Amino acid sequence: MQPKQALLSFDQSPPLSAPLRFFLTAPLFLVLAGLLVAVEGEALFASRWTPAALAATHLLTIGFMLQVMLGALIQILPVLAGANLARPALIAAIVHPGLSLGTLALAVGFLAGSTAWLYGAGLLLAISLLVFIAAAGWAIFRVPSTSPAIRGLKLSLLALAIAGGSGLFMLLALAGGWAVPLPALANLHAGWGLAGWSGILLAAVAYVVVPMFQLTPGYPARPAWWFPVAVVLALVLWSISVLLDADGLARGAQGLLALSGVAFVLQTLKLQSGRRRARADCTFRYWQGGLYASLAALLMLLLDAFLPALSTAPAWPLLFGVLILVGGFLAFIIGMLYKIIPFLLWFNLQHQAAVPGKPVPSMNKLLDDGEMQRQMRTFFAAFALLTAAVFQPDRLALPAGMIFALAGGWLGWNLLQAALRHRRHRLAGTS
Amino acid sequence: MEFPAERTVDARFMEPPQPFVATMEMLDTLQPGEEMLLLLYREPHPLYRVLQQNGHRWQTELQPDGTFAVRITC
Repeated sequence: MQPKQALLSFDQSPPLSAPLRFFLTAPLFLVLAGLLVAVEGEALFASRWTPAALAATHLLTIGFMLQVMLGALIQILPVLAGANLARPALIAAIVHPGLSLGTLALAVGFLAGSTAWLYGAGLLLAISLLVFIAAAGWAIFRVPSTSPAIRGLKLSLLALAIAGGSGLFMLLALAGGWAVPLPALANLHAGWGLAGWSGILLAAVAYVVVPMFQLTPGYPARPAWWFPVAVVLALVLWSISVLLDADGLARGAQGLLALSGVAFVLQTLKLQSGRRRARADCTFRYWQGGLYASLAALLMLLLDAFLPALSTAPAWPLLFGVLILVGGFLAFIIGMLYKIIPFLLWFNLQHQAAVPGKPVPSMNKLLDDGEMQRQMRTFFAAFALLTAAVFQPDRLALPAGMIFALAGGWLGWNLLQAALRHRRHRLAGTS
Repeated sequence: MEFPAERTVDARFMEPPQPFVATMEMLDTLQPGEEMLLLLYREPHPLYRVLQQNGHRWQTELQPDGTFAVRITC
């Protein structure tokens, strides 16, 4: 066995620091978003268009979600698709600081209403996205779509280009005072970013990791092939409806989008119920919570397609945002981080940085289950408080923001502890 | 894809790296030209790379229930 095992050298695996730097700094943006909610309080919940709401949303979507997603893709493209990024360390060295500083500048630009900060943010984010999309596109579009996961990765990358491009266009319009229909464009931008990029990417990754990590049956092939296509089709129809000002088409597209999402969520819940792993670990719980919160958000989207009067209530889009972003995507991503990080650190010690004569600590020793459980309970308490704060912001915005910042900081602390344990083990072997 | 049980690794509910290890162990028992079947719920790209390095051929089929059936020739 040994000679063949040794061939599993993962010589094309990127250096550990390439994904890890994204994972370790991303939780800081959760802390910032939580503090912003606490400080701005009731004013932030007045509408989704307040500067504070826009800043908080982008701290979550770019600062946390996009950072983790890009860091994870740098690591797992070879595993998901057999596609290798060229120069992953260099890409990470450009994209990571660009995204981090760009997000901070964007938040300052929104909050201060400063065109200089907005232009600076636009430049940093544009460079980061261009570098990543070019590098990942070069890798992924050269492999054939032999699985639904690969098809999903390709379409999600296209959606990222559209979400990023439309975001940058709006940023320039906002800073330059151009006369463009910002609310309609912002809805499209959010649709391509959340459903197109994040939703399709989540599904593509889920096709592989849900059966692998949660020991469930696999996703049936036909719906798995069609889900990414249905989402892109709905988004294209929606975009056309905005250009043509065709309300009926917009509602049909929104309905198709919502139904596609509901089908994926119900399928995943069904798979989870057939899992072979008896113990419900943190990843499973985070995903379960994320699926139910997403289901609620998608049903809101479906209702809104047929009863558009509902979404004119100011609380409606805010509630939708909290459910889909915090309850849904954040929960999925944190659940994944709690699997990926211990595995990466363990794998690095086992295969790439083995210390002779020193047994490698187990994944559970690198990141303790109890620590994750306590952080998870805090996160879901913050989610519940944020949901309630949509209706009672005067009383609940402050505690919701503080508990959310605590949950984000705790996540960062847990991940940092795991990285430090890994480092101590390595250093013990060299001293 | 019908295959005798003794030449099949059903890795659909195995945790990594068990599917890889079980496949390599079975390949070790085969003579050149003999075939085996690996069943799992994802395309095993890292395994493909090792199979290629070792000079094996393989053919993958995605079945309706989401199983990837990988027929490997030693």
